[in-house]
Amino acid sequence: MNLSFLHPGLLWGLLAAAIPVVIHLFFRRRPRPTPFPAIDFILRARRETERRLRLKKILLFAARTALLAAIALALARPRAERPDAAAAQVARGPRATAVVLDASASMGYLLGGRTLFDRARADALEALASLGGDEPATVVVCGSETPAAAAPSFDRAAVRRVLDEALLGAGHSDMTACVTAAVRALSQARAQASLPKRVVVATDLTASAWRLDVPPPMVDGPAGPVRPEVSLLDAARGAALPNAAVTGLEAEPDPAVGPRGYRITATLANFGAEPLKDVSVRLETGAGRDTRTAIRAFAEIPAGATAKKTFSYAFPGGGPAVITVALPPDPLAVDDARTLALVVPREVRVLVVNGAPSPIKVRDEAYFVETALASPGSPVRPKLVDAEGLAQEDLAGYDVVFLLNVRSLGARAPELARFVEKGGGLFLSLGDQVDPDLYARELGGLLPLQLHVVKTAADRGAPGSDARAARFAEVALAHPALSIFTGDAREGLLGTRTFRYFLTRPAEKRGEAPRVLAAFDDGAPALVEARRGQGRVLLFTSTADRDWTDWPIRTSYLPAMQRFAAYLAGGLEDRRAPPAPVGAPHAVKLEPGQTIAALVAPDGRELRGRALEAAGLDEGDPAVARFTPRLPGLWQVKLREGGAERPAPALAFAVWPDPRESDTRRLDAAELTAYFGGATHARVEGQASASAGHREIPLWTLLLALGLAAFFAEGVLLA
Amino acid sequence: MTDAKKRPLLDPEILARLGTLHLRVRAITEGILTGLHKSPHHGASVEFAEHKEYAPGDEIRHIDWKAYGKFDKYYVKRFEQETNLRAYLIVDASGSMGYRGADRRMSKLEYASALAASLAYLLVRQQDAAGLVLAQGGAVHAIPPRAAASHLPAVVDTLAAAAAAGETRLGSAVDWVVEHAPRRAQVIVFSDLFDADERVVKKLAQLGRRKHEVTVFHLLDPAELEFPFDDPTLFLSMEDARSVEAHARDVRKGYLEVLRRWLDEVKRTAAEADLDYALCRTDRPLDEVLLPFLARRERHAAA
Repeated sequence: MNLSFLHPGLLWGLLAAAIPVVIHLFFRRRPRPTPFPAIDFILRARRETERRLRLKKILLFAARTALLAAIALALARPRAERPDAAAAQVARGPRATAVVLDASASMGYLLGGRTLFDRARADALEALASLGGDEPATVVVCGSETPAAAAPSFDRAAVRRVLDEALLGAGHSDMTACVTAAVRALSQARAQASLPKRVVVATDLTASAWRLDVPPPMVDGPAGPVRPEVSLLDAARGAALPNAAVTGLEAEPDPAVGPRGYRITATLANFGAEPLKDVSVRLETGAGRDTRTAIRAFAEIPAGATAKKTFSYAFPGGGPAVITVALPPDPLAVDDARTLALVVPREVRVLVVNGAPSPIKVRDEAYFVETALASPGSPVRPKLVDAEGLAQEDLAGYDVVFLLNVRSLGARAPELARFVEKGGGLFLSLGDQVDPDLYARELGGLLPLQLHVVKTAADRGAPGSDARAARFAEVALAHPALSIFTGDAREGLLGTRTFRYFLTRPAEKRGEAPRVLAAFDDGAPALVEARRGQGRVLLFTSTADRDWTDWPIRTSYLPAMQRFAAYLAGGLEDRRAPPAPVGAPHAVKLEPGQTIAALVAPDGRELRGRALEAAGLDEGDPAVARFTPRLPGLWQVKLREGGAERPAPALAFAVWPDPRESDTRRLDAAELTAYFGGATHARVEGQASASAGHREIPLWTLLLALGLAAFFAEGVLLA
Repeated sequence: MTDAKKRPLLDPEILARLGTLHLRVRAITEGILTGLHKSPHHGASVEFAEHKEYAPGDEIRHIDWKAYGKFDKYYVKRFEQETNLRAYLIVDASGSMGYRGADRRMSKLEYASALAASLAYLLVRQQDAAGLVLAQGGAVHAIPPRAAASHLPAVVDTLAAAAAAGETRLGSAVDWVVEHAPRRAQVIVFSDLFDADERVVKKLAQLGRRKHEVTVFHLLDPAELEFPFDDPTLFLSMEDARSVEAHARDVRKGYLEVLRRWLDEVKRTAAEADLDYALCRTDRPLDEVLLPFLARRERHAAA
């Protein structure tokens, strides 16, 4: 009978069994001397009852000692294994053993003050220590990568070192793949082909880590594939592992909340058997020391289900931002919070120069543009001036200038060119006021394409004009300014009919080539973008009002104008990749001349130089640095540019814990043993006897019964 | 009328508080006398009892001539027997008699002395002669019986001066009585009978065989009868150097069993030898002991 203890430290309590002896030896009560006449009778009575008294005393002593010892032993939770199982192990002779240690994120679960990983590691080391000297062993630490294992060897110290140095990962482990890799490693050594094969798996038995639909791993033996013997060491000792997690986080702009308002939706999951009521949920903003709790709320999560919690939050300013939704700490800490990095649109200041004002609103050149830019929820703040008013405006106070059918800029043209060179945005729409030659003289350097002549596709109002009118074709829908036009929204853009527009001259072979974002169906450019210095220029070859086109009354006009303003202001970056789970590669896009100086991990450590290389940063491509984060949370980036180092909040990225690891619901031991070939090939150790094939006897109940019996016996003897 | 509450002077706890034996005797005898019914024996005067027709052999001087004159028949006067009694009070003054189970109680010797002195007083008051035999170890201190009132103080003083010491050897006192009592006498023994000689009751029976009327007052403290101890105790002998260490709770049952067997044995032996035996607890009022004894004696005398 193999005897082991769940809490061996409590065996010190056995010393309590010595208390009766100690009391008997050292704390004996001194008898009180009393003169008594009938001493003969006492002597006679003692002579007669002496043997009975001595027996009673011994029994009393034994009962008290048994009572204390039984309680101490029961508290240590002893477990006994049937001798037949132990004997069978001995009789089986030497075996080649592979130890698989689960290092997935769920192993970070704290049970009784220790992580399951520490318990599993102790189990694995114990299993290793129990091997005989003639039994080769290997080890597989099952983290998020595809594991590789060496063939079993007799270098026990090396195997132990691997186990000692194993670190708890934050990613998902595929235990089926790990066991398969271990079995493959066992098959590798031809010299050990005759030895029976055994796999010891130290794991938490979470169902999400196993794929039981694939065929079970088999060892290639001399006589064909055979099932290996699998010992599953349950690190949780059969305990349920309730866990609450944030499994999803989304943030969508919500104009109803106000400027820079967002609706943030968190998905909360409860993987326990009890419903969670009034769980405190925090929305935090900022990262590192600047973290502050923005909203505190409560949620109810039914047992084994998820619940959505929505926060409405308006950011105080534009730019890169970080939000975190956090639950109260629970035994599995890694999934108690989820972080999202996003860019909140900045307020864009736009100067709209109206080249053809009109007292009738719908005839006014700038009416539609201004209305679109100033609509509620728009981050754009337009200011409207006419061509003469432009002379009084200081361009430095604006991010973007919209020139709508302006005849001439006169003396301000060079200033505008400098404005764009320094990073300002310029939007040009044309019309009957525009003279191609004058534009070529004043704005020649800024125009993406030189203007040629006006083309009339159809006369407005003439019969069949709608059919003959030009339509957008070849729209660059991947462009950030146009990427919102997906699905039904695309129809609002492609349905636009344009009656007149400027044709352009072919592009000159100098500088950066202009990019045509949209062309008319005859191939003439409709929307052309060009970079000029640090700024951008966008040219629309028709009018911004209804004179030459019906775009202003199309549903696509308002979002397009807002996006153009944001894009030209530089506030519309390329679409941000959604946060990736731990272990998935992340690409950091770099501008020319930029390199990554350091990465700040979620735990606050700064990785730079060699540590960065060791962490797996790949800078092979100068435009994109690739990095595989191993910790969930917010990763911040520090850039080196022109010899100087600066933080780049816009490049910060969030990494999410793997939601599969949050699911701590456990696999039925019988199901897993059945997968590995039933009780003859697999067994689960460290579980309650009911689920482990009745191999263990819970001795503590018997001990408590014994203690109780001793207690009653003591009472009876004293009576 | 044996209720101690009605006659508090007979309660041993109250008597224990009375300093001297003289006071105790007075208290007891007053209590007893107020409790007694009027006795038909007033002193030792010869009193007429009944007439009997003369038969040859009767004493001629007892023929009632007045009756002959009236009835022309010889009648003989019959008289109450003279009750001029000699009593020996044997008091055991061995070490074990000094035991008292509680401070407020009298020791067995004090109880025995009170009983003996009271009886002496009552006897002398009836013109009977009372003598004292104080047995201590093998030694005997004796005061021969006399019926004079002046004789009492000597008896009481001797009892008051007695201190419990030495072994119990009642045999020597019995021998003394056998030797010194010339004719039939009443022998009253006050002892706990914890005698070194186990056949002490049989020894007392010797007195019975010599026509002495023997009464045994077996005095035991309640603590001896009930063994109220509970802790580990070192029991010390009161008559020699023996001691025994025992857990009182453990030996209690055995002790009571041995005691019961011994008491049965004593009672049986006393009954066989026709001894008048009374077991007296020293916490009981003295009249509970004295009144039944006096009543028995009266009945005996009337028979």
